[in-house]
Amino acid sequence: MKVVAYILLFSALVSAQGRQGGAPPTARAAAPIDLTGTWVSVVTEDWRWRMRTPPKGDYASVPLNEAGTKAADAWDPAKDTAAGEQCRGYGVAAIMRMPGRIRISWDNDTTLKIETEAGTQTRLLNFVAPAQRGEPSWQGTSIANWQFAGGGRRGGGTARGGSLRIITTNMRAGYLRKNGVPYSANARLTEYINRTTEANGDGWLVVTTMVEDPQSLTSRFVTSSHFKKVPDGSAWSPTPCSAS
Amino acid sequence: MNLSGTAFFFLVIACTAVPASAQIDFSGEWAPRFWEDQPERVPGPELGDYLGIPISEAARLRADTWDASIQTLPEWQCRPHSADYIWRGPSNLRISKEVDPVSRDITAFHAEWLRSVDRAIYLDGRPHPPADALHTWAGFSTAKWDGDMLTVTVTHLKEGYLRRNGLPRSDKATLTEHWIRNGDILTVMTIVTDPVYLTEPFVRTTDYELDLRQQVPPYPCGVVQEIDRKKGEIPSFLPGTNPYTTEFATRHKLPVDATRGGADTMYPDFLAKGRTQPIAPPTAPPATTSPPGIQILPVRGNVYMLLGAGGNITISVGRDGVLMVDAGRAQMTDQVLTAIRQLQSDLDLRDRPLGSGAETRSSVASRNTEPPAKPIRYIVDTSADPDHAGGNEKIRAAGRTFTGGNVAGNIADAGEGAAILAHENVLQRLLEPEAGEQKAPTDAQPTDTYYTDSMKLSHFFNGEGIQVIHQPSAHTEGDSLVWFRGSDIIAAGDIYSTVSYPVIDVKHGGTINGVIDGLNRILDLSVAEFRTEGGTLVIPGHGRLSDSADVAYYRDMVTILRDRVQAMIDKGMTLDQVKAARPTGDYEPRYGASSGPWTTDMFVEAVYTTLGGGKKPAPAPAPARGRK
Repeated sequence: MKVVAYILLFSALVSAQGRQGGAPPTARAAAPIDLTGTWVSVVTEDWRWRMRTPPKGDYASVPLNEAGTKAADAWDPAKDTAAGEQCRGYGVAAIMRMPGRIRISWDNDTTLKIETEAGTQTRLLNFVAPAQRGEPSWQGTSIANWQFAGGGRRGGGTARGGSLRIITTNMRAGYLRKNGVPYSANARLTEYINRTTEANGDGWLVVTTMVEDPQSLTSRFVTSSHFKKVPDGSAWSPTPCSAS
Repeated sequence: MNLSGTAFFFLVIACTAVPASAQIDFSGEWAPRFWEDQPERVPGPELGDYLGIPISEAARLRADTWDASIQTLPEWQCRPHSADYIWRGPSNLRISKEVDPVSRDITAFHAEWLRSVDRAIYLDGRPHPPADALHTWAGFSTAKWDGDMLTVTVTHLKEGYLRRNGLPRSDKATLTEHWIRNGDILTVMTIVTDPVYLTEPFVRTTDYELDLRQQVPPYPCGVVQEIDRKKGEIPSFLPGTNPYTTEFATRHKLPVDATRGGADTMYPDFLAKGRTQPIAPPTAPPATTSPPGIQILPVRGNVYMLLGAGGNITISVGRDGVLMVDAGRAQMTDQVLTAIRQLQSDLDLRDRPLGSGAETRSSVASRNTEPPAKPIRYIVDTSADPDHAGGNEKIRAAGRTFTGGNVAGNIADAGEGAAILAHENVLQRLLEPEAGEQKAPTDAQPTDTYYTDSMKLSHFFNGEGIQVIHQPSAHTEGDSLVWFRGSDIIAAGDIYSTVSYPVIDVKHGGTINGVIDGLNRILDLSVAEFRTEGGTLVIPGHGRLSDSADVAYYRDMVTILRDRVQAMIDKGMTLDQVKAARPTGDYEPRYGASSGPWTTDMFVEAVYTTLGGGKKPAPAPAPARGRK
C-alpha cells in the first residue's frame, strides 16, 4: 500500500515538473540546429541528370515501374509548356536535387521557409499542422518536426543536436528528373535534414530524401544531397521554371 | 531503508536515469541501393568522366594518361577500394560493434564490404599513429559523437582513387565522414581533403538500406598472370595520346569542358558562367620541414625505424645486440645513440624462467635483474651517401665486434668498434672520393664488403637471417637492400623514397633503369598479407614506412616517367625541350621540388642522361672500381 502511495506521489511530481515550464517552446526556440541562411548545392553526384535536362528515356538509378517508365517515355516538354506546367520538374520531390542556392528562414515561430533559386519555388515547413490542407501544389503540404539527439531525452550525458524531419503530401504530380521521370500526386515524401560544421569552418546541410510512390516506383527512391553554407545571399539569382 | 523505500528509490532511478551513451546504433547489414550514379557505381565509370569533382590539373593529367590495363598487373589485382571510395562501390556493407565487456561502452565499429579489409573505427579515445607509420587502404579511423551523428576522422590512407577511371587520390589525403541513421536508411557523408589532387574538399553523400537478410559473402582473391607482358612494363598512355578522353562527352552530348572536371563544375553557376577558375599548371609542393630530433617508429618485432637523422635508419635490437642499416648524418650521431640506448633500455633481456630439467642452472642465479644491453655490432651501409653513412665513424666507435677463433682473432684491433658492412663500391667511393669530396676517415670505412649479388650474415641475428642484396647502378653504383628475413622487412636505402622522385646519382653510377630494377626486385621479394597490404614491410631511404602496394605505386610512377622521357628522346628532343614539356606534371605536387638538394629538373636530367638522351651514348654504369 505504501509503495503505491510512493508511486502516485512520484507521478504527481513528474507531472508537475512538466507543467512548471509553462507553454512548450516554439519550434523556433526549440531548434536543436540552426538551418537558416543561404546554402548552395554542390553537385558531385548524378551530375549529368541534375546539371542539365537529361535526354528522354534516361532514367538510370530510378526504380521506375512499368507505368512510370511509360510515362517517362511519353515526356513532351512542349506539351508541358503549352499546358502551363513548366514547374513539373521543380516539385517537392525533386526540388532539393536541383542545382542552385536555397535560402532558409523562419516565416514565423512555427514555420520554416525554404526558397529556391531553381524555379523560384517556396516551401513552407509547418511545425503545427495547418487547419486546412488546401489544394495540391507543386510543393505540397509539409509537416516538420525536430528529431532531438539521444531520442530527445534530457539528462546527464544526453547528446545535443538533432535533425529535422519533414513529411510532405498533398502535392501535384511532378518529375523526379526534368526529363519526365514521374512521381504521382499520391506520393509521400520523407526528408531528413542534418547539419555539420567542419574543422575548416565549412557548414553543410545533408538532405536525405525518400520518395514513396507505388504508382510510379517499384520501391522507394532515396537520394541524399548536400549544400554548402555561403557567407551571404549576394549571389542569389532565382530563375523561373523551364520545361526543357 | 525499508522495503517500500527501497522500491521507491529504484523506481526513481529507473525513471530518470538516461544512459550516458544513448547513441544511435549503426551495426547491422546494410545494402547499397544505387539510387544515385548507378552507371558509374555498378558497371563502372566511363573514361574521361571527371564531372563534378574538384580535381587539380595534376589529377586531370594523371587520369588522361591512365590505362585501365594497369589493373591487370599482379600488384593491382587484389587491391580493395580505399575507405573514401568504397562507400560508393558496388558492395554490401556489414557494420559490427565492439563493446567493452566491463563498461559495455561501444569502443569501436567495424565496417567491412564485399572486397575490403576490416575497417576499425575507434571510439575509445586512442590517438592516431605517428605521421610516418604505415598507410593502409582503410586508413586509421577514430570517431566521436556529434549528437546522433558519428563523425569519423581518417588518416594514413594509401593512395586510392576518386573515381575508378584513373582519377587519383593521394596518400596525403585525409577523410572526414559523418554517419547519419534515419530509421532503416544510413546516409554517409564523405569529405576528402587532398592537397595533391584536389583544389577543394570533395564531398559526397551515399545511402544504404538496412537489409536483415543480407550476408557479406567471402571474397578471396588470387593473383594470376592476366596478360603476357615484358617484365617491368607498366601500361600507360603517353601524354596527349589517349584517344578516349573525350568519348564520354561525345557519347552523352556533354560539353567537353564540363567533363574535364574541376571545382567549378560542382557549382550551379557553372551552367551559366562556365569555368571561372583558370586551370593552373601543377606545381611542386612547398618545402616542408621535418620535426626536429629523432623519432622512433616500431616496425615489427624487434625492428625499428629511426627518422630524422638524415636518411632513415633501420635498427634490429635484441639479445644479440644492435644491427643498424645506415648510420644517418655525422652531426646526428649523438641523438641516434641516445635513441638506441632508449630502445635497449626498453628491452626485457632477463633470463626466461627455466622449465623442467634445469639440471645445470637455476633461475635463482639471475636474481631477476636486467643484464647490461648488448653492443652495437653491425652497421650496414645502403650507400656511401653522407646522410646514410655519415654517422659510421662515431657509431662504429660506440660498438663492438666479437672476435676470436678464425674471426680475425690475431688482429689486435679487430674487436674495436662495430663492423661496417657494405658493397665493395661503397668502400671504393669512400677511399677514392671524387673531386670536391672528402676521403672518409678509416673508422668510417666499411670493414666487411661483398662484391657478389648478395651476402648473408653467417648466422641469425636477434633471431632471424639477414641478407644484404646488391642492386647495381640504381641510386648509385654501390646500393644495397637489406632484407630481414624473419621479420620480413626490407630496408631499401635510396632506391625507394616516399618524399621525392628517386635520387639518381649519375656521377656515382646511378641510372633510372637501375632504380626501376631495384623497385621491381623489392616487389619480387615482397608478399602482401591480405588484399595487397601489409606483409613485407619496406623502409624507404627517406619518408614513411611502406609495404609492397606503396612500392608498386612508386614503381609505376618511376616507370611511367621513364617511358615518357624515353619517348621524347626517341623524338629527338633536347634536354631543355624535355624539361619544358614537363613530363612529370601529374606527379609534381606529390614528389616534385623546385628547390633543395633534388629538384624536378635534376631528376629529369638524370633520367634523360642515363637513357642516352642528347644522342650521346648512355654512360655505362661507372666501372666497378674494385674487384671484377
